[in-house]
Amino acid sequence: MSDLIYLYGLIPTEEEKRESVIPFKGLDEQKEAYSVQIGKITAVVCNLDSKEYSEASIEEKINNNMEWLQEKALHHHNALLNLKQKYTVIPMKFCTIYKNENSMRKTIENNQEKITDSFLHLAETEEWNLKIYCDDSLLKKYLSGRNLNIASKKEEISKLPPGRQFFEKRKLDQLLDKELETEKGSVCEQIHDRLKQFSLNHTVKNNWSKDVTGKKYDMSWNSVYLIAVDRVEEYLEEINNMTKEMEEYGWKFEASGPWPAYHFAIMA
Amino acid sequence: MSNRESVENKNIALIDILDVILDKGVAIKGDLVISIAGVDLVYLDLRVLIASVETLVASQSGNRKEISSEEFDKQREELMYASQ
Repeated sequence: MSDLIYLYGLIPTEEEKRESVIPFKGLDEQKEAYSVQIGKITAVVCNLDSKEYSEASIEEKINNNMEWLQEKALHHHNALLNLKQKYTVIPMKFCTIYKNENSMRKTIENNQEKITDSFLHLAETEEWNLKIYCDDSLLKKYLSGRNLNIASKKEEISKLPPGRQFFEKRKLDQLLDKELETEKGSVCEQIHDRLKQFSLNHTVKNNWSKDVTGKKYDMSWNSVYLIAVDRVEEYLEEINNMTKEMEEYGWKFEASGPWPAYHFAIMA
Repeated sequence: MSNRESVENKNIALIDILDVILDKGVAIKGDLVISIAGVDLVYLDLRVLIASVETLVASQSGNRKEISSEEFDKQREELMYASQ
């Protein structure tokens, strides 16, 4: 049986002509990756043994072999990161595999227009991710100081008999928790608005739990921005400014990038 | 040092990579041999979580009872069953 074709991503042929893709070891760590020219589009691919990489065997590995998944996911991502340093790249989903070169060619030819449009849209841009974390105890402290209602309520409670104090304090804590959540939501929206100005496109993602991130604090915001290369410094400077402004109230910012445009290379 | 240099390639965890390459990225359908669009990220979160807990347990061995990966797999199955 012939080899399967693993597609990493697509780059514009004219960029590849200026500087050809440096061969690297493919997904199986044996065969070299190479490029296939299809008109204005160049596909960066590697060959895979059709028995070892059948749908069933890949699914089995993804579900039951975390080590394999980690290793191959990193390989896929690193290959795209390296391409991204030199070319405009449309990154493919992990394990985009075609039966043979012909079937890949046909698929790409059928989508030629959308792909070249996407190249134009992504040229000279970078994808950046921002995650915001919050130390709730610090923000709560700040909020209870800022909110006069809460301060006067505290004063009132301290004059009550001990039994009542307990219940009233609990009520106040609940009020504070609610205010904390509202504040977190509105601050993150404001931050997003400030950063949107630097971006060509943006998307808000789900927050992840501490179990997944392994962080000490809850994630309050997770968003991605597509930014013109010449505005990235400004965008990062704005994040630095916000860190300085807001650190003392418990806010922590984590920017990462540049990523291949996983969120914005969309074939609508 | 520019802002870019101080941030570039930092703050990236494996879960970040898995999240995007399994969920995002372009899939040009056609004669695809395999499409893993069906991978459920909730399930993935669970796996990564379990992997990290396993590491934690391994690093604390001696202080507490070791939990084998078989037991984790069993727990995972139960969790998955419960979340279906």
